[in-house]
Amino acid sequence: MPGTDVTRYAAIHARVRAMYAGLLTEQMWVALSEASDLGGLVSLLKETTYGPYLLKVEDRALTPRRAVYQIKSRLADAFTTVVQLVPAQTRPLLTQLYRHFEVANLKAVLRGIMTGASWDQVRYVLFPLGSLTVLPAQAMVEAGNVTGAVELLRGTPYYETLSHAMPRFITEQSLFPLEVALDLNYWRQLWTSISRLGSQDRAQALRVVGALLDMNNVMWAIRYRVYHNLSEEEVINYTLPFGYRVRDEDIRAIAAGADIPRIITRIYPGLSGVDVLLHELRSGLPQLELQLQRHVAEQCRSAFTGYPFHIGVPLAFVVLHELEIQDLTVLIEAKSAQMPAEEFKAQLLMA
Amino acid sequence: MFYPQAMTEIQLIAPSRDLLAVTRVLAGQGVFHQVDASSLSSQPGISNGDSWPEQAASYATLERRVMASMQALNVEAGPPPAADRAVTIEVDVARPQVEQIEQDVKNAGAQLAGEQKRLEQLHSTLMQLEPLAGIDLDLATLGKSHYMFYMLGVMPAGNLERIQTSLARIPFVLMTLRKDRQNAVVWLAGTQHNADVLDRAARSAYLNPLNLPDTLQGTPSQVIESLHAEIKRTQQAINEQNAVLSSLRKTHQQQMQTLIWRVRASRMLAEAMARFGKLRYTYLMVGWAPTANVENLTQRLRQASPSVLLETTPINRSDTELQNVPVSLRNPGILGAFQMLVTTYARPRYGELDPTWLITLTFPLLFGAMFGDVGHGLVLALLGALVVSRRIPALRSMASLGAIVTACGLSATMFGFLYGSIFGVENALPALWIRPMQNIMEILLFAIGAGVILLSIGFVLSMYNSFVARDWGKLLFDHNGLAGFVLYWSLIGLAGGALAGLHIPAILFIIPAVAAGVCVMLSESLSHLIANHHPLVEGGIGTYAVQAVFELFETLIGFLSNSLSYVRVGAFAVAHGGLSAVVFILAGMVSHNQGLGYWIVIALGNLFIVGFEGLIVGIQTMRLEYYEFFSKFFTGGGTRYKPMTLLPVAED
Repeated sequence: MPGTDVTRYAAIHARVRAMYAGLLTEQMWVALSEASDLGGLVSLLKETTYGPYLLKVEDRALTPRRAVYQIKSRLADAFTTVVQLVPAQTRPLLTQLYRHFEVANLKAVLRGIMTGASWDQVRYVLFPLGSLTVLPAQAMVEAGNVTGAVELLRGTPYYETLSHAMPRFITEQSLFPLEVALDLNYWRQLWTSISRLGSQDRAQALRVVGALLDMNNVMWAIRYRVYHNLSEEEVINYTLPFGYRVRDEDIRAIAAGADIPRIITRIYPGLSGVDVLLHELRSGLPQLELQLQRHVAEQCRSAFTGYPFHIGVPLAFVVLHELEIQDLTVLIEAKSAQMPAEEFKAQLLMA
Repeated sequence: MFYPQAMTEIQLIAPSRDLLAVTRVLAGQGVFHQVDASSLSSQPGISNGDSWPEQAASYATLERRVMASMQALNVEAGPPPAADRAVTIEVDVARPQVEQIEQDVKNAGAQLAGEQKRLEQLHSTLMQLEPLAGIDLDLATLGKSHYMFYMLGVMPAGNLERIQTSLARIPFVLMTLRKDRQNAVVWLAGTQHNADVLDRAARSAYLNPLNLPDTLQGTPSQVIESLHAEIKRTQQAINEQNAVLSSLRKTHQQQMQTLIWRVRASRMLAEAMARFGKLRYTYLMVGWAPTANVENLTQRLRQASPSVLLETTPINRSDTELQNVPVSLRNPGILGAFQMLVTTYARPRYGELDPTWLITLTFPLLFGAMFGDVGHGLVLALLGALVVSRRIPALRSMASLGAIVTACGLSATMFGFLYGSIFGVENALPALWIRPMQNIMEILLFAIGAGVILLSIGFVLSMYNSFVARDWGKLLFDHNGLAGFVLYWSLIGLAGGALAGLHIPAILFIIPAVAAGVCVMLSESLSHLIANHHPLVEGGIGTYAVQAVFELFETLIGFLSNSLSYVRVGAFAVAHGGLSAVVFILAGMVSHNQGLGYWIVIALGNLFIVGFEGLIVGIQTMRLEYYEFFSKFFTGGGTRYKPMTLLPVAED
């Protein structure tokens, strides 16, 4: 009911609009891209809404990794604010979306264990979830082995998922089955959260989260076929049968070896030059992923036009914020590696 | 009470040999807010020359290890010792103790974990075999077929549909023998010709085949019988291990509780020392302390290290460089409860008025005016008192909120007498002042008048803050300064005169309004002018002119919206009476002769009013305080005062 929606979403909408205005402007992106080095970039960022987070760390301790960690703190705060303000019925969806960072942290911890990294090496790679995480990350890293670390997850939502994949990890000594299991479980739960929403919210959530899911699902299927040379049945089992624009037939067709550019063009008719882009599949995939991410960003921006009192607005904001941080990460790494502008600019989504 | 506690900057240089003694005094007194001075080390950028960061890391690791052992034995850390009794411990002394405890706990813990894991596996195997109990066939023969592929196992229930899709191109049979929310026990069969495809599909769907150990052979029912016996034996072993852990708990509990607090205190001490600046033979320590505590602190420091060099600088509130001065708010009694509302908005800066006393006065008043009812007010006051008394364990953490509710309840009671309202009955008591429902215009106008007074107080406080900070530009020309104040009252004079039909010449208000408006428009340049700051105009005349016009426009809109916002005080007073009347109408509809139904509706309605309307009025009061009132004079952004201590402390 529109009246009820206005009451439910008035506060969060006002707050999100205010936070949306805090995202970096085009002029700022230009200035950041033209910064002479990492120091210059950080100085500019200190004048933005990321400033308070960067100022918490002394300049000499502000390594590229630490700078990225600090700017991620802003997204963590924004997410916390949004989760607290959205109507109770939609909170599980936002909470589940936020768990995306926890899943990423869990994967990073497991990778750290596999490479023998210390806690100090791992801690700033993680997303700063603060107390909003069930992962005993430090204890897991200090456990020193994946089996012991997974045992520490007992009682968390991840234990059951990982325990199914552990026999394969023990046999193959590869994190691949664990990571795939975590991803599949995460997206299935996110999809379930969407299906529990009312019709208006569900439609809006599908537009944003569905676009994200489609991108991931398609990229998984293509990567498993092109990079990993997996069989049809494996590709199908490692992907999801649902989506917004992507149908299960598309995924099954990719798994069966169908023409990938043709399928991509059918799913994303607005995407131009797919044939040229994917002429050489292996080298073209990163560019395709960028194009799809830009498509997600467009979907998110479109949520800010039209009738505003729905879950799409806060969802779109947090996704856009995450994409902005992804771009900033690219910039920080590029500046610290003194990469020429023409090399990193093509990798930016928001600029 | 009106300002944050006066602070003094302390810089001290202590010889290396006295480092520990000096740090103990600084931490033990619990008044020294440390500033990171490690960058002032003689070798900045490398380290402070000592291994304090490493030591802090070692203590942190030890702390975690002790916590892990405590968790394994289900031992609580217990209350911290008194601040002056916090004892530290050397890493080399603590480590063997931790290792000894770990050794004892680890052996028993590992055996227990092993048995628990075994029990889990036995249950999993049992779960997979139970559906096959009726089949009279040796399980070993299933895997020896030449023509058929079989796999019995457990998989995530969510993958069932997908594995069937993935096998769509070949003939297969997938029987779900048992299924719950998470897991499914399945039997997958196909031809040996397709064994590779079936195996890959099963693996990628996380179907884990049942692998029976050699000790468990025979028909399913025979294996199930053996499993039950094995489960019983394992359960017994678990009980024995639990008994061992229980005995270890008794042996180590006291030692672990002592150790955890010592290691924790040592960690905090090492972390503090890592933030000192290291000179050649001395350490440089920088920080802040409340001026009232400085004398005692310096005395103790000199006792701990006679050769310590101390420099104390009391900080003047009008100092322009006050950004980093930590702010300690120490409001007593009921003020302490309302302080929470202030810090939720922002922490005052050091030179700024602490508005706690003001919100303590105005918040209950505004709430009471909107929720004036003797009965409802008393209910709220009693509920608040109950929370303050901490008799309800679940609400103990909300004691300070209880104090606010009590104050608001008492204020609502007072206004209830003024409005002559009790439990929504509007004619049982004489109204000592006004009946809002019968005098709607009067109460609304009174509310706006009260708002004008509050906003004027806000202007005065803003000017006072600017005066204390010697910010003359802001004092004279800001929209919340003198110019804004004159503009606001000139407009009120104009509007009030016209509405009330007073014969005051309008020019008396127009001239000051125009003059003040021009000052507000040009406030930035005028401020630059008196501060002798150049250029007077930044960013070009055109941009500046547009900005100036919009500044004035925004100020005027702000004045109007801020003032009219207070209408809600009167509107809610009226709504309270209206809502109560609705409850009585509903009750009458349920039971005309005032039977049980009537009183049930009255009781539920009053509960609804106290709960729901009380909450809404609370939110509206907070809105008026935060957005209309505080925004006039309160900037905030102060740094929280966090005294260095060897024990964790609650925030103010």
